[in-house]
Amino acid sequence: MNDIRKTLAAFAVVGLTLSIAAPAFAQQLKSTEDVRTALRLLVQVSNDFKRQITNKNFARVPHEYMEYTEAADALRMSIKDEPADFKAKVETRLKAAVAAYQKVADMSGKETDVDKLLAEHAKAVTAMNSVFDLFPAALRPDPNLPPPGRGGRRG
Amino acid sequence: MLSRRRLLLAFVTSPLTLVGCRRHQRREPQVVDLFIESDGDFLAFHPDTLTCPSGARVRLTFHHGGKFLSARHNWVLVYPGQMDAVDKDVEHNEGIISKDDTRVIADTPMCDKGVTVMTQFTAPAPGDYPFFCSTPGHGECMNGILHVTRA
Repeated sequence: MNDIRKTLAAFAVVGLTLSIAAPAFAQQLKSTEDVRTALRLLVQVSNDFKRQITNKNFARVPHEYMEYTEAADALRMSIKDEPADFKAKVETRLKAAVAAYQKVADMSGKETDVDKLLAEHAKAVTAMNSVFDLFPAALRPDPNLPPPGRGGRRG
Repeated sequence: MLSRRRLLLAFVTSPLTLVGCRRHQRREPQVVDLFIESDGDFLAFHPDTLTCPSGARVRLTFHHGGKFLSARHNWVLVYPGQMDAVDKDVEHNEGIISKDDTRVIADTPMCDKGVTVMTQFTAPAPGDYPFFCSTPGHGECMNGILHVTRA
């Protein structure tokens, strides 16, 4: 019984620590708005990838990859003043994400099967989400938010 | 005798003077300056609604407010219900709008980040006219409405 109590207490302490630490970390980031913008850009370009594939506009996909690398650079720039170990963690996952999107772009030159390309794109999104996991939830783009602007109000 | 001549002259010239005055009084079309920009690098116009009176000479300035992405943007005004069709037609042409496209009221050139471009047009009949960026894939998010009011 005592063991259970101890375990529960340990979980509570960890939970409390995390809930306090996450916002504190968000405040510690030196350029929170730049980080927020860069993360939003990564999602925006990722969505553009998907849109071009869905519309079978394969010739545009390599251009989206170029923009993805630019959004990745924006993220690098936004954390340039952060501790080296944090930057290294981000860099490792960011490189993996960029490589995953490059694979989609390379595939789009030969593959015209939309489903296969979307499946590869889904893998790239997973890689991108692992980058986001390193940042406080408050700075991550909400995937449920409608696109910016009037989005979808077509005339 | 002289005063009769003067009276006659005045009688003949006064209608001409009135006609002449009326010509001078004809109002020049109102000039309206509008400004719109991309929301930084995001796919949105800021503002996403514009207003001008019908018949006005509109001078629209569009600024590409991006800093990071190499995406190009423009501003294209079309007749109601034509946006999807125009957007679709230019999808495989890098979004370049044909000059003889009668569905298009006005458009700016495509521009890179940090660049400002202009276009001029006469505001059409009162109504709501959609505008969008014709870079392939952008129009879905990057669009807005020009409200044309009665003059």
